[in-house]
Amino acid sequence: MIISLKKFGTTLVSRPSGKEAWLAFQPVLSEISGDEEIIVDFDDVVLTPSWADEFLTPLYKQFNDRVKLHNIDNPSVAATLTILAKQ
Amino acid sequence: MLGVSIDTLRRWDSAGRLQSTRSGPRGHRYYSQSDIEQYLQDVDIIARHWVETSEAVEPKPDVYCQTRDVFQARLEQFQARLSRITPLTTVSLVTAIAGEIGNNSFDHNLGNWPDIPGIFFSYSIRSRKVVLADRGQGILATLKRVRPELTNADEALKVAFTETISGRFPEARGNGLKFVRSIIIGNPFSLYFQTGNAGLYLRQHDRDIVIQQVKTPVRGCFVTIGFEGLL
Repeated sequence: MIISLKKFGTTLVSRPSGKEAWLAFQPVLSEISGDEEIIVDFDDVVLTPSWADEFLTPLYKQFNDRVKLHNIDNPSVAATLTILAKQ
Repeated sequence: MLGVSIDTLRRWDSAGRLQSTRSGPRGHRYYSQSDIEQYLQDVDIIARHWVETSEAVEPKPDVYCQTRDVFQARLEQFQARLSRITPLTTVSLVTAIAGEIGNNSFDHNLGNWPDIPGIFFSYSIRSRKVVLADRGQGILATLKRVRPELTNADEALKVAFTETISGRFPEARGNGLKFVRSIIIGNPFSLYFQTGNAGLYLRQHDRDIVIQQVKTPVRGCFVTIGFEGLL
């Protein structure tokens, strides 16, 4: 499945909105089959570690290496992923 | 030039904030170059005064974000305006650091604002400057909850910019200002961050964090982001 982050908004900067996105997406995530890849598409979004911590961190915890990241060349996305990787 | 609508200019005019001279049969508004230049410089002077004064008053509505939702809407507006003159790839960095700093104020003061809730958020596209300020508890009070040994704002500010630590224990967080630092030092931007009487000035290629004592303390935090090298 593909999670297009811009469907949650293009300025993904706050913790509450990240948490809300995670909670709202639970019904969709619960339908994913056992070995399906989860592609997160960062096209056209502004991202911060605060938002990502509430959405990407639990996504990784739940699905581990089944999560694949696309369109990560946007500078705010690259900077956020670098910071999260250091955690 | 100012990045505001005609309606806002009219409001500022009637409020005496940026006054025009009326001329012609339709009463068109004219502004002097020096008044505009003065106004643009005032963006941070007004914010600084707001966080320095003991008098707790709400800022003017056009710069006051009482809640996170208002801040989010204005940040998106700022992003859209900046996008008109520069590519999204670079706009994203300035928007991200402004968003992180503004939201930090809400994260750490929600339910605990000493007097005025919310933040001051203003910008000047022409001067390549963003100003954010809050009359919150400040970084020392926030971090002291998890680091009781911290005794002054200097130490607290340094910790906030260099260590992954959060005043919202037990939540796993505390990356925000490290993220801001990594973007500032990797790009043609500058940052001034003051909390209490501790000030930090950071620019591209700066490796060290040098905190300076500031004569006039601020309540909460006062931040300016410069993106002079962006355009």
